[in-house]
Amino acid sequence: MRKIMLLFSLIISISTATAQMKIGDSLPDFQLKNNKEATINLTSFKGKTVLIDFWASWCAPCRLANKKLAPLYNQYKNDNFEIVGISLDTDKTKWMNAIQKDKLAYEQLIDAKGFDAKSALLFGVEALPNSYLFDASGKLVAINPTEQEIIMKIKK
Amino acid sequence: MKNINLKFIGIACLFLITSIKSYSQISKAEIIATGLTCSMCSNAINKQLKATVGVDSVSTDLNTNTFTVYFKKESKIMPRVLKEGVEKAGFFIGSLVITVPTENLKIEGDKTISLNGSTFVLLNEELKNSNGETKLKVYDKGYVTQKEHKKLLKTFSKTASYPLDNEDDYHIKTVI
Repeated sequence: MRKIMLLFSLIISISTATAQMKIGDSLPDFQLKNNKEATINLTSFKGKTVLIDFWASWCAPCRLANKKLAPLYNQYKNDNFEIVGISLDTDKTKWMNAIQKDKLAYEQLIDAKGFDAKSALLFGVEALPNSYLFDASGKLVAINPTEQEIIMKIKK
Repeated sequence: MKNINLKFIGIACLFLITSIKSYSQISKAEIIATGLTCSMCSNAINKQLKATVGVDSVSTDLNTNTFTVYFKKESKIMPRVLKEGVEKAGFFIGSLVITVPTENLKIEGDKTISLNGSTFVLLNEELKNSNGETKLKVYDKGYVTQKEHKKLLKTFSKTASYPLDNEDDYHIKTVI
C-alpha cells in the first residue's frame, strides 16, 4: 500500500515538475513578492489584458526587450492593459537597479531561483526573455507575442 | 546477525575507499559557452550538463558567464563529453578549464600525460610541482572559439599532434 502511495506521489511530482502553460490555460493562482515587498497573486490581474514577462537583469536580450516594453506599457496602461515582470534574478540589488535603469513602471515580481524558480517551472520557461499574453477572461492567448499582437489584443 | 551486517558494511566501506583511490579523474570543469544567443539565458546547457552521466552538479556564475561542472568521484568524464553536451544544447565551447588532482598527472616522455585512455599534451613549460589540484585549459578545436583556433594553428605549428584534431588527444596549458 505504502509503495503504491509512493509511486503515486512520484508520478504527481513528475507531472507537476514538467507542467507547462498551453494556449487556453488560465492565469495560474500563484503568489510572488513585488519590489515593494507586497505579495501579489497573478489571478488579481484577471479582467485585464495582461502580459507576464520573464526576465533577469543579467539577460542582455531581456534588457533590450525592456526598452520596448516600458513605452508600450506607458502608452496602453489606461486601456485595461497590464504588464507583470517576473525576474529570475538571484541578486535582488541587481534586480532593483535594473528596474530603475530601464524605467519599468509596471508590476515587478521576483522569483529568485533562476531557471529552478517555481514560476519558471510552472510556465515552462526554458529561455529568457519569455512572455505570456493572457486576455481579459484570464486565458492564455499567445506565447512570446510580438508588439503588434499585444496591441491587437488590447484594442480588441 | 548484527556481526554479519557490520562485516558487510566494513567490506563495503573498504571497497568504496579503494575504488575511489584507484580511479584517476577530473574533479571540476569550468565552461564558457558561446553561440548566437546569450548562453546564460537558456536553460538548455544547464539541463544537458546535469543530465550527463558522471556529473554531480552544475552551477552558473552570471558575472563571468561560466558554467562550473562538478563530477562524481568515480566519474571518468573527459572533455569530449562536455563538448558534445554543449553542442547538443545548440552552443559552442568558448573556453574550457579542467581541474585535476595533481597526483593524477604523471608526465611521460615527450610532455604527455595519460588519463583514462586519453592523452594530454602539455603546450607550455613543465607542470608546477604543486600539491593539491592543477588547472588545465584545453586548446583544441571545439574548446576555443573558431577565431582563436585559427591563430593557435600558427602558434602551435611545432607541435605535430596539434593540427590532427584527434578527439581523444587534448592539448593543454596549466592555468595559475
